[in-house]
Formats: sequence, C-alpha cells, structure tokens
Amino acid sequence: MKKLLAVLIMATLAISTASCAGKDDVKSIGISQFGEHASLDNCREGFLQGLADAGLKEEEDFTISYQNAGFDTAIATQIAQNFSANNVDLMCAIATPSATAAFAAAEDKDIPVIFTAITDPVEAGLDSGNVTGTSDKLPVEAQLELIRSMQPDASTIGILYTTSEPNSVSAIAEYEAKAGDFGFSIEAIGVTAQSEVTLAADSLIAKNVDCFSNLTDNNVVGVLPSILEKTNAAGIPVYGSEVEQVKKGCVAAAGIDYFRLGQKTGLMAAKIITGEAEASEMKYETISEYSIYINSQALEEMSITLPDDLTGQAIESSEN
Amino acid sequence: MNVLLDLIISTSTQGLIYALLSFGVYITYKILDFPDLTVDGSFPLGAAVTAVMMTNGSNPWLTLPVSMAAGALAGLTTGLIHVKLKVRDLLAGIITMTALFSINLQIAGSNLIINRDVDTIFTSAFVTSFLGSSSLIYRKLIVSLLIVIMVKVLLDLYFMTKSGLLLRAVGDNSVLVTSLAKDKGTVKIIGLVISNALVALSGSIVCHEQRAFSSTMGTGQVVFGLATVIIGTTIFQKFDSVHGTTAALIGSIIYKACMQLAISLGLPANLLKLITAVLFLAILVFGNYQKRHNATLKQKG
Repeated sequence: MKKLLAVLIMATLAISTASCAGKDDVKSIGISQFGEHASLDNCREGFLQGLADAGLKEEEDFTISYQNAGFDTAIATQIAQNFSANNVDLMCAIATPSATAAFAAAEDKDIPVIFTAITDPVEAGLDSGNVTGTSDKLPVEAQLELIRSMQPDASTIGILYTTSEPNSVSAIAEYEAKAGDFGFSIEAIGVTAQSEVTLAADSLIAKNVDCFSNLTDNNVVGVLPSILEKTNAAGIPVYGSEVEQVKKGCVAAAGIDYFRLGQKTGLMAAKIITGEAEASEMKYETISEYSIYINSQALEEMSITLPDDLTGQAIESSEN
Repeated sequence: MNVLLDLIISTSTQGLIYALLSFGVYITYKILDFPDLTVDGSFPLGAAVTAVMMTNGSNPWLTLPVSMAAGALAGLTTGLIHVKLKVRDLLAGIITMTALFSINLQIAGSNLIINRDVDTIFTSAFVTSFLGSSSLIYRKLIVSLLIVIMVKVLLDLYFMTKSGLLLRAVGDNSVLVTSLAKDKGTVKIIGLVISNALVALSGSIVCHEQRAFSSTMGTGQVVFGLATVIIGTTIFQKFDSVHGTTAALIGSIIYKACMQLAISLGLPANLLKLITAVLFLAILVFGNYQKRHNATLKQKG
C-alpha cells in the first residue's frame, strides 16, 4: 500500500517537475475543453490562430497544455486544479462546465480565465472577476429571417431542446419572443436525455411543423443524423445553427463561425498574457458577424430554391 | 515542489469530499448487498438544494443538514418502493434516480452558479476566523478533512450499535435477522436513508467547492462509488482490523489520484479514461497478488 502511494507520488512528481521546466518569459496557457466536439475543436483551433495573429509564437512566447474532460464535470474540476497547481499564467476554458471549474480553481491564486463557447456569461456568473471571454449567442433573428426567405409560406417552426441546458432554454425564450415578428409560431419540445430526442422528433413531425430549427444543444446535435433520416422521409427541412450541422445535411444555417469566435478569444488572450490588459477589466465579447451556410444537395432534396438575394453571400457547405 | 504540493492538496480534497459518497455506496453495496442507483440522483439533489439555499442568502453551514435530509428522503423513497411495493432493488433505485432528475431541475430551476461574493463553507466567517491566513486550497482541505473524519467516526460508532449490527447482518445473513424477530425491510430502509444522506452531503460540499450545480453532475457517480469501494477493500483485504469506511476513504483518494496522474501525464486528452482504467486494473491486480502472496506465506508457515 505504502509502496503504491509512493509510486503514485513519484510519478506525479517526475511529471510535474518535467512540465514546469521553462523560461520565465514564456507564458503557460492551459486549455480545458469540455469534450471532443466539432464546434469546440474549431474554437480551440481558432484560439491558437488568434494568438498567432497577435504575433505570439508557441514555445517562444507561450506554451500550451491541452486537456479535454470527455464531457465529465468531475474531470473538468481536476483538470482546472492541475492547471492551478502548475501555476499557469492563463486558463482558457471552452464551454460552460469547463469555465465554471476553471473559475473555481483559479479563485485561490487569482489566475486569469478566458472562456469561449458560452451562450450566456451573465447567467453562468462569469461576467465579473478576473475572467473574460467570448459568447456564442445564436443569431436568432438572422436565422428567422433566413427561414422566412427560404420558405415564404411556412408558419410553424419546430425546435427540439434539452430542458437542463441553460443555453438552450435561453435560446428558446428568444425564439419565442422574436418569432412573431417574422410571422412564425414556435413548437418546442423539451427532452431530458439524448435517448429521448428521436422520439421527440417523431412527435414534432406528427404536429405538422413546416421546418425544424436547431440550437447548439449537445443532445440534439449529437443525434442529428437520425433526426435528418426522419425529417427527410417526411419532407421537412431542418435548419442548423452552425456550419458543422449544415455539413451533416441541414439545408441551411445562419450561424456564427466557431473558428472566428476562437480567434477573437485568442486575440483577447494575447492582450492578457502580454500584460496589455487585465482580464478583470475586459468585458466579455459576442460575435456579431454571422454567415449563411447552405447545403445545396439538401436544398434540392427539399425542393427549396435559394432566393436571389442570398446566392451571393451563402457559403456552400455540403461535405461532398 | 509547490506544484506537487498543490496537486496533492487539491487531489486529496477531491478524494475527501467524494469519500462521503463512497461511504454511502459502501453501506448499500458492501454492507446491505443492495446495488443502489439512487446515488446518481441524490448526489445532484444535495447540490441543487445547496445552490438554491446559497443563492437565497442562507447560512452556508445550514445547507449541509438540509441537503442530508433531502438525500435521506430520496433513500427513504427507494427503500419504500423496494420493501413496500416489492419492486426489485435495481429498479427501485432507477425509479427514484429518474424522478430525481426532474425534481432536481424543479428545485434549482436550471443549472445554477453561486457568485464569488456569496460565502461558502470554505470562506465563511467561522472558518476564516481560524484559518483566515492560509490560502483557499488549504482551507478547503482542512474543512473537508474535518467533516469527513467526523462522519467516519460517527459511522464507525453507529456500526457498533444494535441498529448498526443489524444492518451488517442483513447483508451477511438475512435469515439470522428474521430469526431475531426483526424486520429486515426496515433495516434495509434505514441503510438506504443513511447512505443517500451521505451521498447528498457529498453533493452539497461539491457545490460549495465548485460554486455550481449542474443537472448532469450525478451521471456516473454510482460507478465512481463502486470503483472506490472495490479499490479500497481490495487493497486492505489482508488487514482485518481496517474499517470498511477507511478502505472507502482511501479508495476515493486513490481514484482521484489516478485521474490526476492521467491528466498530469499529458497524453492525448482523449486517452484519459483509458489510462485511468489501466491504473485501476493495475491496482486491483496488485491487491490480488498481495492476497495470494500472503496466503502462500500462511500455508508455508
């Protein structure tokens, strides 16, 4: 038993001494990502690009330690504590649970935290303190406008969402508040787990909605292919909320570019590690630009013609 | 060296806080021989109750007994479903766990965050008056250590009372309990109540430590609890004098240490769980090897 503990301690010791060897002027950044997910990966890559855009070079100006919690909050906690123990100069947290964990672990040493891919930083309690970042709030109005121009006769939009995801709940509220302005009504069905999503999709189809519109809801997006199978059979178009969903077969999306969101975060991070600005004095930023992504193959299958005013700006995003 | 010290402190703190959950699983799984899945629901229940009370300005210490009471109620529900409605043990737990998912969200509204200006048990005036000069991670360690030691001593004392002995008898030899003219159903319910009160207490302290409640934080906690109890008891199986609670406590710390070791290895992030699994296997094989080794020694002697 004692031997075992000794081995564990020695191993950790060897690793941590190896990892903290470095020059003082090289800033260390710990990236804690909640899980492996196309949009979150794009954020991380954008973040590194943002640092490069600010003229910082990896190894010379900063080092990166990347960890991913595999969607487990308890692991996100330990990752953040590991960064804190290693005295990183900045924690970058991708998605809300990682950001909450990072902020809690950073409390003691007041390590700055920069987050990205959080819909509502105010609700997540990350709007004050030594913390800043970028929000991935959905461009709901743009999405409604897009649906209206693609389907001039549509009246009901069906949305599936997870009742326990605050991001989804606040997006649903915004959809319901703004749908009327575009002459839509919203038919939303809440689920509590991923296994319920396809059942809920069936009941939305049975309610004769004119189209589906997706949020960035992890449970729903995770089973998108099986939703599309059902909606395609029923001839109902599905609108995505970002480019990755359009690649998978949604007809179109007015979505933010997660790579650019990450890039923006990277530029903010550069200011913090170079000492140009303090995280506590920087307000979180949202990305106001959005792009229209289309999948012409899916549009054709749903016999929707792209309106002329969109042909110029729409970005073709089908995978093949 | 500070890096290692910090890592040991924060990892031990995690192990200690989650050890309360392991105590709960130890009671149901090891003593009562009852696979109780309520844990996945009663753990976030403790956090949900705590988060709501804290955001409403309640005294942080008050959240601990209230969370325990809520957890006890969850255990009572599973117990009644199993004993009175004669539903199988696994299913009784699944029913309560499923219901709790909705109840937790009903209690908390949504995922909740406690702002930094709200005092938790670790930053309360009472603690800072003693430990104010030490940094937060030390305070977290000391406070959780005191709570865990207190709970452990109380549990060990309870196991020696008549009620505690009956609890142990139900798992080992339920015929004996019936022959003593005791109702084993009642004993099982008592065990489930105590177990889930401890699990909810663990959830409550995690909420204090993380300043957050999320509805999915309970997922996989049963598996965690079982793993820690099995690791702990495997390692200590040759020491008859070691209390089961001690084994569960050490098991929990070792589990968190394995996680932290896997994180510190800095291997590709997606391999984290695989590394952890390999570490667990190594510990279990090591434990079994020791047992066989000792058995051979005894034979020779």
